[in-house]
Amino acid sequence: MIKTWELDPGFKDEIMKEPGGEHLTSCYQCSTCTIGCPITELVPSYNPRKIIQMSLLGMREEVLSNPDLWICLICQTCTARCPQDVGISDLLSAIRRIAEKDEEAGKLKIESPRPLFDTAFLHTVEKYGRLYDIGLAMEYYPKREGSFIAGQKAMMKDYKDFGMRMFFKGKMGPLGGHGLLKGVLPSKIKNKDVMKKIFKWAEEKEK
Amino acid sequence: MSVTKLAYYPGCPSEATALEQHISTEAVFEKLGVELVEVEDWNCCGAAEAENPMLVYALNARNLAIAERASLDIMTPCSICYYNLARTANALKEDEKLNAEIKGIDSSLEYNGTITAKHVLDVLVNDVGLDELKSKIVKKVNIKIAPYYGCYISRPPGTAYDDPDDPVSMDQLIKLIGGEVVPFSQMKTLCCGGPLMMTRADIAYDMARNILDTAKSAGADCVALACPLCGMMLDAKQADIEKALNIKIEMPVIYITQLLGLALGIDAKELGLEKNVVDTKELLGKVV
Ligand code: SF4
Ligand code: SF4
Repeated sequence: MIKTWELDPGFKDEIMKEPGGEHLTSCYQCSTCTIGCPITELVPSYNPRKIIQMSLLGMREEVLSNPDLWICLICQTCTARCPQDVGISDLLSAIRRIAEKDEEAGKLKIESPRPLFDTAFLHTVEKYGRLYDIGLAMEYYPKREGSFIAGQKAMMKDYKDFGMRMFFKGKMGPLGGHGLLKGVLPSKIKNKDVMKKIFKWAEEKEK
Repeated sequence: MSVTKLAYYPGCPSEATALEQHISTEAVFEKLGVELVEVEDWNCCGAAEAENPMLVYALNARNLAIAERASLDIMTPCSICYYNLARTANALKEDEKLNAEIKGIDSSLEYNGTITAKHVLDVLVNDVGLDELKSKIVKKVNIKIAPYYGCYISRPPGTAYDDPDDPVSMDQLIKLIGGEVVPFSQMKTLCCGGPLMMTRADIAYDMARNILDTAKSAGADCVALACPLCGMMLDAKQADIEKALNIKIEMPVIYITQLLGLALGIDAKELGLEKNVVDTKELLGKVV
């Protein structure tokens, strides 16, 4: 049952103000998005149409705390098929960013490591201008596991075989065709100042 | 052939996990006589991890601007880099206010919309063209191939360059080089699971397994692809998937540029074919 007195009528507008969230009210609930979604095939609870309906109704808390938000593949299948050009893939991304802001403000605990992963990824880009896999892993695993030691263990578990594979294929490490420490040290761009400016601007825009 | 020179944006995986895609792209374009000028000091496109579109636009404006200063269209072998470059180009052309704001971040981000972003597969099939490619083919790649397109080649509509329901560009290339396309239409554009690899490996592995299994039952000798992230998931992670799900797949996964390179008579080593994780040696015997 929907507790009408707990609904937040402003939630729609909050989403529509986010880039990507603009077309929320175009949805006419046909469910084409859900029917074609590859995640719905594997996780029956996953229902983008329902997330949209709940957002339209103003069920802010339920939407933002829904763990299913974090298993969208951003594969754009729903966006391509929606008869109303809702742009669901981008819309779900807009909702995730609202959830992240709520978490930053201490109003929500996100039950998924995905924001930690994205943030660790982007930190390496901000710092070096390019993705640095090892730097990403060194930040992500300890944060996900809650401690440095547990993080190292989890990282070893995931990377032990995979890392050796990359090493023997010459994609990372001394066997690489492009220098002795390929992939082990970060690849850095020269103009790092511009990365700082870009990230600062984008962060300001998100506020 | 209308194209003789392009700005080349390799993308982050080109430096490590997708080295073979990078090497084979360079080798193929050299053979075709198309000069590739690497985008000087290029930066990451933000991949799928930059969820804030403003960040994507600013990051990609810089790469577009560098190519534009050289008056060259910008080509990338990565589907998600392509998507990010192309949607940025669209947004900056459509929205003058946004474009002005992005220029305001730093003058090096000034992009005026005079060059476009392209994916390698699109350039090969539609710009270089099948006739031109045909005239340069010297070998028959006598392999049964499952053409896997992944997400951003045929969607979303604003940036796609192939049919959303049944893309054909890779099929055309495979037929041209003498390969056999196995029935694979229901898998062609299904996501590989890559975006969840590090946060929900269980789901990601299931998705990748589905694609690889279908290729196998369709009788494919290998899966062909055109994106380094799909390569990471389907090739580099294949052994992890086998271990986690307690199954055997052993399906070679080869970039379309590698397959085309073989048909153009380029040496397997120059195409990085020893760098694909699942062994490709056996297949090389079928290139005649
Ligand atoms: S396909 Fe579009 S209109 Fe239909 S339910 Fe999904 S978002 Fe709404
Ligand atoms: S983008 Fe997300 S919601 Fe849309 S079809 Fe893909 S996984 Fe489903």
